[in-house]
Amino acid sequence: MDSLTQLIHGFSIALQPLNIGLALGGVATGTFVGMLPGIGPINAIAILLPVIFAAGLTPESALILLVGVYYGSQYGNSISTILLNVPGTASAVVTAIDGYAMTKDGRGGPALAISAIASFVGGTLSIFGLVLFAPVLAGWAIRFGPAEYFALMIFAFSALSSFAGASLVRALAATGFGLWLATVGLDPNSAIPRYTFGQIQLLDGMDFVVVTIGLFAVSEVFHLLADTEGGQATTAAFGRVAVTGQELAMTGWTMIRGSILGFLVGVLPGAGGTIASFLAYSTEERIAGRDGRFGQGDIRGVAAPESANNAAANGALIPLLTLGVPGSGTTAVLLGALLGLGITPGPLLLTEQPDLFWGLAASMYVGNVFLLLLNLPLVGVFVRALQVPRWILIPSVAALAFVAVYAVNRSAFDLVLMTMFGVVGWLMRRFDFPLAPVVLGLVLGPLMEKNLRRAMALSGGDWTALFGSPIALTLWGLALLSLVAPALLRRWTDDLPGAEAPLQEGE
Amino acid sequence: MAGITLTLAGVAIGLEATTFNVAFLTDPVGPKAFPLVVAATLTFAGVRTLVRPRASVELPPPETLLRMGGAMIAFLAYAAALPWIGFFLSTTLVVTALARLYRGPWKGSLTAGLVLSAALWLLFVGLLSLPLPVGELWIL
Repeated sequence: MDSLTQLIHGFSIALQPLNIGLALGGVATGTFVGMLPGIGPINAIAILLPVIFAAGLTPESALILLVGVYYGSQYGNSISTILLNVPGTASAVVTAIDGYAMTKDGRGGPALAISAIASFVGGTLSIFGLVLFAPVLAGWAIRFGPAEYFALMIFAFSALSSFAGASLVRALAATGFGLWLATVGLDPNSAIPRYTFGQIQLLDGMDFVVVTIGLFAVSEVFHLLADTEGGQATTAAFGRVAVTGQELAMTGWTMIRGSILGFLVGVLPGAGGTIASFLAYSTEERIAGRDGRFGQGDIRGVAAPESANNAAANGALIPLLTLGVPGSGTTAVLLGALLGLGITPGPLLLTEQPDLFWGLAASMYVGNVFLLLLNLPLVGVFVRALQVPRWILIPSVAALAFVAVYAVNRSAFDLVLMTMFGVVGWLMRRFDFPLAPVVLGLVLGPLMEKNLRRAMALSGGDWTALFGSPIALTLWGLALLSLVAPALLRRWTDDLPGAEAPLQEGE
Repeated sequence: MAGITLTLAGVAIGLEATTFNVAFLTDPVGPKAFPLVVAATLTFAGVRTLVRPRASVELPPPETLLRMGGAMIAFLAYAAALPWIGFFLSTTLVVTALARLYRGPWKGSLTAGLVLSAALWLLFVGLLSLPLPVGELWIL
């Protein structure tokens, strides 16, 4: 099998000492930031970016590190969810139901263990799916023209907007804001300045690292000021982090079903881990029927969403790598990182940069093994980090943000810009606007405009060309469908406790 | 409030976009088409929000707002001070200030500031050889 030889070649890259170290560093950082409030994978990746450019890592190594942070944070997230009942992202909300119930029962240890094992199963199975399906999708996407790409990006936006939270109009406004930010600076075709307000520093456009750190990290610094007492949570004793053979046998199929479901949902833009974990949980609840103790500490209630959201996280890499179109805030930041490294993801990535793709896939196997090893015996070490008081943690995040933003252009102007975006981000949170579409808009904006103008150039300015091909029409149809999908999904999950919980940012 | 801001922003962006005229066009739609689409989107969202207003958003208590304002000033002061007094001193000061705003004790906050600045300096300048400003004040 061709994929297999490629993957073996990938392992020869992933097992280079530097890359093993980066995978370990990435997943450890990921676990850490996934667990702590106020950082999250989006900020961690945005803060690491300038460091990576400065360190001069090769694209393969850089991606191994960043993607390690990305999937590692899914593991870390479950730690604070299970022990403290504070889900860091929306995808962990369902884990909290049975996970925290188990902790209150004094079975926190087994809950942590099964979440690590389920994450491992979900992670590993979905990498298999990634290796299998990415080449297929890439082969298919090679026929995409500018009109198709434009429609595909509309689909990504509509899917993210409709799944991002409460209000579609607000998500639309956030998307528009992001797209507008993307137009700031010199127009790449005609070289006339747009929306620069006469500032020379804005001619280059808005750097997405500055905007992302401002919107997410700085606004979080403001936001958490409202609650300065937190941070020194005392965690309950959780006992030995292990599961019995019986518990493992009971959750085996649950994890496999969760992984497959999560992977399939993850490939769709926008949906991601949140929908995946909700669906996996409610499916398992139905299958278990009366034997289940779902809601009162059923171990399957932890295994299902954890395998699903890890699988979804990896599934989301497929559209990112083969189409170059991310479906969430975090994958949008990853796209920005790739573009910054001089890599343009798309259907040609697999053939032109085989080392990058297969090295990454192989390193994800390595990283998942590390995560399992880190999470089973060493979870106590991570938990201790939850005890760091907030007055140390948050200023440290702020200082890291300063250095990262300064390092982008070595300009203090960017720090002012970052602060302004921090205020905007705080206001947006306050007024219930989702933040992820802004980042997606900012990163996809230039690509969208480029494809729009190419499509127009090809058609001679005829706007109907955007709907001219069957593929484009299908994508427009999918975009419309994604707008009505949440209503249908709600019917499926409405009997689920906590399903109405407000979805948070940062996924 | 949010609705008004959005509508105004949408209209303003649209108006500004109509001024993007170039002497010769390399493509049929030029640099203004995409911003116009964006402006329309924003205006639509703004009008929708205006037509269907939601319950007003509660602001945090004045004491919290005051501390948020303090944090914002600290951030801006940092941007202003960085090239002048250098990375080490300004980072120490801003971290201490932020830690104090988060109700950390004086001694602890100062220690956190010093340790963090030193660690970041070592990491970025020493390990990654990424230049951070030393401060014009000390060079002259």
